[in-house]
Amino acid sequence: MSGPREVAVVGGGLTPFGVRGVTWAELAQEAGEVLFRTVPNLRAADVDSLFVGAAEPERFAFQSHVAPLVAEQMGLAPHRIVQRTELACASGQSAIRSAYAAIRAGLSDIAVAVGVEKMNIPDMAEANSAMACVLDRPWDAAHGLTAPPFFAMVAQRHMLEHGTTDEQLAAVSQKNHRFANANPVAQFYEKKFDREKLLRLPLVAPPLRLGDCSSMTDGAGAVVLAAEDRVSEFTDTPAWIRGSGQYSDFHNLANMGSLTQWSGLVRASREALRSARIGPGDLDFAELHDCFTISEIIEYEAIGFCGPGEGGSFVADGRSDLGGDVVVNPRGGLLGCGHPLGATGIAQAVEVVDQFAHRVDPARQVPDPEWAMVHNLSGSANVHSVMVYERGG
Amino acid sequence: MPTAVVEVAPRKRSKARKAKLLPPEPAREVPGPGERPARLPYLLDLYPAESAAQTRLAPFFEGLREGRFLSTHCRKDGRVLWPPRIVCPVCHTSDLTWVDLPQTGRIYAFSAILAGAPSGLEEELPRVVGLVELDGSPLRIFGRIVGVEWPECRIGMRVRVEPFSLPDGRAYYAFRVVR
Repeated sequence: MSGPREVAVVGGGLTPFGVRGVTWAELAQEAGEVLFRTVPNLRAADVDSLFVGAAEPERFAFQSHVAPLVAEQMGLAPHRIVQRTELACASGQSAIRSAYAAIRAGLSDIAVAVGVEKMNIPDMAEANSAMACVLDRPWDAAHGLTAPPFFAMVAQRHMLEHGTTDEQLAAVSQKNHRFANANPVAQFYEKKFDREKLLRLPLVAPPLRLGDCSSMTDGAGAVVLAAEDRVSEFTDTPAWIRGSGQYSDFHNLANMGSLTQWSGLVRASREALRSARIGPGDLDFAELHDCFTISEIIEYEAIGFCGPGEGGSFVADGRSDLGGDVVVNPRGGLLGCGHPLGATGIAQAVEVVDQFAHRVDPARQVPDPEWAMVHNLSGSANVHSVMVYERGG
Repeated sequence: MPTAVVEVAPRKRSKARKAKLLPPEPAREVPGPGERPARLPYLLDLYPAESAAQTRLAPFFEGLREGRFLSTHCRKDGRVLWPPRIVCPVCHTSDLTWVDLPQTGRIYAFSAILAGAPSGLEEELPRVVGLVELDGSPLRIFGRIVGVEWPECRIGMRVRVEPFSLPDGRAYYAFRVVR
């Protein structure tokens, strides 16, 4: 074989996201049902590799070694590579990245990337402990640090340094909830949030209110990746993976540079765009990691959709909405869809596939999209994972 | 670069501030090293293992009991590291030494946990937490902030390190607002 092969995501689907009356393993079965329904030409015997994105099954379901569990639940018998990928909130994208690398290197031809997370458990304090130990547990989390107070400090500094307002934070949530109202699998599909309602929701970690925070969510999903010579078996509109970048630059908060300028995302997104040979202005839409409203605002700035400190006005002026410079989170984002850690990255990839195939609700369909970016941060924004997709066909 | 860092002289006896319970710290039952868990299972206990049988960073916790706030300093490249470590991440030497960190600083950023606390902290809300810039040091360290209600907390407030004891005898630290 000469040179690396091109790789595409050729299809996939999601379970409903929300507070679900199902177990972890049942979510994996549901992912199998939806995968084979949404990719009708997929034969289980053709899936040579399986990558399972799951952040904390030990914590949330008291279950390790989940890759063979998922294979059994989904009726797959991978014979080349089978493994779990864990990168906290980016575990789902991590599964896709690993499948991409395997196919590109010639070690796999058809791989399935799955994401499963069951976060609503009887004792939610234990679930919060699970979220706390994503951070530097003995030195940061032992003081009480979890994601909301961390991103609250980020928001506080961004407000201080750039004059970002509560209303601008709410604009992110309002936009993403409105898109989620057009996405039937979203956790908040049927819940309406206008600006005034969002600004009246209770504080979780000031200045962040409930509507500024993504939820603890149960959900799963699966996508199929195929080598270039197998893509046409599955779809006419493949989502070709054209660019990739990732950066990890600290763990303990003492070793984070600026709270408000995420140099790791600057580097990861530049690398992803460079490898795709495009610039941020070429993107039609972007699935960005809006675990908190402030995250999306800083991500606009780091990727280069706007200048440093301009993220608040960027969203308030509608520049990240349909009809703006770039549509951000037309799926409904983590804020509107919920954030089942391992499944989020899979859901973003499904959105890329469905947007490219023009099969989402018109209220969130990006007009004729050709280029898309997917981003996940994980932990305290200490890792950034970015992929760039081009529509084929 | 390390500033305002004093190397610890081995025989120096500090005027020990006795480690004491923080007044706002309600009694907690957390498992101690080698003990059977009283309330929280070992894998839900957020606080670090600190005995010499469990960690090479035990001097940090012994220091807290003597009213000291220590970290490690790389003899080779001069960096003061946080959290304390056993190998320098830059030059990969284990030739590190314990140094006293400044015990005072200013709040750089803060929030308060009003909901969503981990196991064991549910009854300690609201809980003010923040990043503290230590005086004369490049270090910005995260910790709980006591002695202030969150609506009155402000960036720039002066704080000092306050060691305290967990009910099982382990030592930990918070930052107390200095008026």
